[in-house]
Amino acid sequence: MTPLQHYLVLAGVLFAVGAWGVLARRNIIMVVMCLELMFNAVNIALAAFSNYANLGAGRGEAFVFFVLAIAAAEVAVGLAIGIAMFRLRERLDVDELDEMKG
Amino acid sequence: MQFSTPVFYIVAALVIIPAVLMVSLKNLIYSAMAMIACFSGVAAVFVTLNAELLAASQLLIYVGAISILILFAIMLTRRRSGAVGIFFHRQSWAALPAAAALAVVLGLVLGSARFNAGSSPKNPATANLSRLLFNQYAFPFELASLVLLAAIVGAVLLARRERRP
Repeated sequence: MTPLQHYLVLAGVLFAVGAWGVLARRNIIMVVMCLELMFNAVNIALAAFSNYANLGAGRGEAFVFFVLAIAAAEVAVGLAIGIAMFRLRERLDVDELDEMKG
Repeated sequence: MQFSTPVFYIVAALVIIPAVLMVSLKNLIYSAMAMIACFSGVAAVFVTLNAELLAASQLLIYVGAISILILFAIMLTRRRSGAVGIFFHRQSWAALPAAAALAVVLGLVLGSARFNAGSSPKNPATANLSRLLFNQYAFPFELASLVLLAAIVGAVLLARRERRP
């Protein structure tokens, strides 16, 4: 039987890998993909709490469904922004989006 | 259903190894393939957590829908010249130590924290989950469909090609 902490550490490591990708990669689509990785890490933590918690069993799983819905909306809008950006300037590098720089 | 700890380690490797590959591979298509493997691994984690409905939703939504959407976006935004770009930007050398520090901190905190939780799984039934979704969380559940509708309209509006007269 696996203790709860094992799942939480797995979720933490997956979250950190996703954060690494978001910080290190240039391509905006790659950044969206790494954001999905971080969403998945949070989902693992929620499902683990849902499975082990003494109170409110199943509540975490219900939240995972809301995260899934919001993640689907986020990825649709994010990729549309990426495609619009590609139309505008033929590039997808996030460090070139500096029009708002003061 | 109870799963032993070695099973957990195998499933965790199925999640972490593709995730690291995905971030470090240079070709975007290979990265997307690694991402699909990672999402499937997360579905396996849900199975070991007795969340069968979540595992099925994970396969349908992430592996089925979101991966295809991302592959479409990658193929729509390919550069015509085929020139090799720079895949990691200027400050990316700092990203790996920062992410490693985040992993260490999260691992230490989450590994040692004590929660109001038993040491063994409670096996919440799917019926329990549906009761929650359609009674207590019925309003947010319906609101999520509104959010999805807004996202669809927004995505179409953003990605539409402007036709100039």
